[in-house]
Amino acid sequence: MIPILEIKNLYKSFGGLRALKDISFNINGGEIIGLIGPNGAGKTTLFNCVAGIEKPTDGRITFSIDDRALSIGGRKPEAVTSLGIARTFQNIRLFDNLTVLDNVKIGRHCRTRSNFFGAVIRSKFQQTEEKMITESAEQFLEFVGIKGRGQEIASSMPYGDQRRLEIARALATEPRLLMLDEPAAGMNPQESQGLMNLIRRIRDKGITVLLIEHDMKVVMGVCERVVVINHGEWLAEGVPQEVQNNPKVIEAYLGTGAADAAQVG
Amino acid sequence: MDKPISPNLTRGAKIRIGLLILALVLPILPFVSDYMLHIIILIFLYMILSLGLNIVPGFNGLLDLGYVGFYGIGAYTSGLLTYHFGLSYWLIIPLAFINGAIWGILLGAPTLRLTGDYFAIVTFGFSELVVLFLTNEIWLTRGPLGLPGIDVVSIDLTLFGGPKWEFVGEIPYYYLALVMVLVTCFVMYRIQDSRLGRAWFAIRDDEVAAVSCGINLLTYKVIAFAISAAFGAVGGSFFARWVTFLSPDMFKFWESFLILCMIVLGGMGNIWGVMLGAALLVSLSEILREVLPLLGLPVEVRFLAFGLIMVLMMRYRPAGMLPIPAVAAKMRAGRKKRKKEKPVAGLKS
Amino acid sequence: MFLQQLVNGLVIGGIYAMIAVGYTMIYGVIQLINFAHGEIYMLGAFFAITFISFLNLPFFVAFPLSMACCAVCGVLLDIVAYRPLRRSPRLAALITAIGMSIFLQNLAMIIWGSRPKPFPQGALPAYFETTAVSFGGVNLSWFHLFIFGLTLFMMIGLNLIIKKTRWGKAMRAVAQNQTMAALAGINVNRVISYTFALAGALGGAAGIMVGSYYNSIYPTMGYVAGVKAFAAAVLGGIGSVPGAMLGGVVLGVAEAFGAGYLSSLYRDGISYAVMIIVIILIPAGLFGRVLKETKKSM
Repeated sequence: MIPILEIKNLYKSFGGLRALKDISFNINGGEIIGLIGPNGAGKTTLFNCVAGIEKPTDGRITFSIDDRALSIGGRKPEAVTSLGIARTFQNIRLFDNLTVLDNVKIGRHCRTRSNFFGAVIRSKFQQTEEKMITESAEQFLEFVGIKGRGQEIASSMPYGDQRRLEIARALATEPRLLMLDEPAAGMNPQESQGLMNLIRRIRDKGITVLLIEHDMKVVMGVCERVVVINHGEWLAEGVPQEVQNNPKVIEAYLGTGAADAAQVG
Repeated sequence: MDKPISPNLTRGAKIRIGLLILALVLPILPFVSDYMLHIIILIFLYMILSLGLNIVPGFNGLLDLGYVGFYGIGAYTSGLLTYHFGLSYWLIIPLAFINGAIWGILLGAPTLRLTGDYFAIVTFGFSELVVLFLTNEIWLTRGPLGLPGIDVVSIDLTLFGGPKWEFVGEIPYYYLALVMVLVTCFVMYRIQDSRLGRAWFAIRDDEVAAVSCGINLLTYKVIAFAISAAFGAVGGSFFARWVTFLSPDMFKFWESFLILCMIVLGGMGNIWGVMLGAALLVSLSEILREVLPLLGLPVEVRFLAFGLIMVLMMRYRPAGMLPIPAVAAKMRAGRKKRKKEKPVAGLKS
Repeated sequence: MFLQQLVNGLVIGGIYAMIAVGYTMIYGVIQLINFAHGEIYMLGAFFAITFISFLNLPFFVAFPLSMACCAVCGVLLDIVAYRPLRRSPRLAALITAIGMSIFLQNLAMIIWGSRPKPFPQGALPAYFETTAVSFGGVNLSWFHLFIFGLTLFMMIGLNLIIKKTRWGKAMRAVAQNQTMAALAGINVNRVISYTFALAGALGGAAGIMVGSYYNSIYPTMGYVAGVKAFAAAVLGGIGSVPGAMLGGVVLGVAEAFGAGYLSSLYRDGISYAVMIIVIILIPAGLFGRVLKETKKSM
């Protein structure tokens, strides 16, 4: 089976700074993949290259759906979303001053068509589409667990719910691949558990999930495979247990000598 | 977007219906003079212009300093088409709309990728060039001599063997302007509650997040600019057929600033706020025009007052009189911290 | 003809340069287009003729005195209008700047009347009219030399201030990064005031020179000159002082040649067109950095 996402020899430099060096790995459809590494390793930069916010300096990113392979390195972010890759942000980027429901409705943008004329004359098509947008938005809210809060202002919601809302909005774009950037940040164990369930339910809907995460319980609990990068380079890859015990990985997180210490201890 | 759930009308809706009824019967009331009607028509005109401009800073968060350029283009196009070809105003309205939109796209496409400051300056430069063009191209516009003798609006049924009824006095123009304001208002409401409006609000709130939802920034900004320009041109077309005389110095930067004042004062992004701002400033302008000479002050003090009002508004009430939360948050002091603070681990969020 | 236009262009260009550096310095430190800067330029001219007419001060005393008053006006403008909005969004600050510009224009109209005023008779030294240098069919009067010389002197002086003095270094630090400058112990507000004072003094000087040279002073003279000078600043790269100087000269010369050979009606339009084209095609200008809205951190 063709992997849904192939990253091949990806380089990204900012001026003189090499953020990503020769990164290669694949993601297969239906997997939940974790992307981990110490702070500053380049994880978000990698997300940004896939999502189109940054243009790769070199290398290829190939997104394959329905046996069609598309090169997406360097495409504009809105095009990437239309193709079927959605992402959330490390620092939650909601439309703070809009309602919860509007946030998700905006997520439906790339799957809908009505324009100025439809808006003004309220054609049959536009009315049907609006109805669909509202109904599906409510369904997405229910799916992530914040049903019935549609009219609240996004910024007034508790932190954990804001995270869920951002995920709902991303899901509303009907992605095949969902990239979550530290979704469990700031969550307590209960909330993390809820998040893990949500991620599994997302995967059960047929959406591949790639997540950056620091919370190891979440990584171990929900990821089937883990990719480790450090200093912009691929370090290790494998099932969570393997990676956890990989001496190079331990060293990356805890510093040299820690691997030995871990073995002795 | 507050839909009353109960069968009783909300207070807001009652006020609006009351105003509408008042507006409908106003010209018939005994104490209403032609002068008063003239002022109210002026208010209606500026409401249309304000609603048009409101799209750009109010719905999209960009500063357009060159709005008078579209107003002027609309006015002169309307005036010239009438002067040379005797075109019916009912044809001119859609033409003005389309013409305005085209100019909006022409100016917007290359410039809307610029940051806020540069965009403001470029729009300013554009409107200045329009005035220069109107002043200098005498063969076309008669330049500073102005364009007099533009036909009044008329309803011409001669093609169907009927009469030709010309607008005489202020009353017909009053009702025409009222209808145009209502239509403009209606369009704005429809846009606000639609996919297009939501895309604009998304851009205004957070461009990066908007892009991640599949919204192409440039496309939607250009659409906003084009529609804004279209309404400016329509306003201009009305102006030409109403005052029946045009001259380039009616379309200077001051007008752009004045309309900007109206939407800022009233509450940017708020349809009613913007209309209120128009009503207030036009009234204030007329009141000052009468009162200042009585105080021994030159009429120009009006402008000074407006400048001062803007400075004070920005200082104390930047979101305007009827603010909407989305814009109020953006206009208030205190740069919003972009990072969402992660709650300390262990505390219940 | 060519030489004559060149001389005209250099004269007006030097003056644009003086106004342009004011815009660029202020934009450098507070990222605001000071729409009211043109009005400071206008006030300079009015102060000068008021000092000469009402206080009977000689030209060479009224000149620096007016410059000083303009410096004060600049500082007041900042303290009263811009400083309270330091943390406000750009839109609010821009609107305030425009509001102040309109306010000052009309204030001048009320105080001095809107009709153009000539520079007071006999205020300028008589020898200003006489020819100092003559070549290629062009006569340079002492007045020309005075303007050239003074402009050059002030540009060099400004460069020295920015490069060599403590204040200059502080200004550059604040322009680069306000937070870091504050952390380094710089009193940012003081530096900003200083910048406004410098910009005001130079703008005022330009106003006096224009008013006396063209013998016409009116409240809206700052409007057009201001836009053109801003165009010059953009051409040179906003935020760059040498860029603004060069931009001013280039724009002045372009305008002189354009008006001379192409169309005098669109004299002002040349500046607007240059500005628009430069902004769209090369926003960085000749020397500046592109001022993209800083990408919000991911």
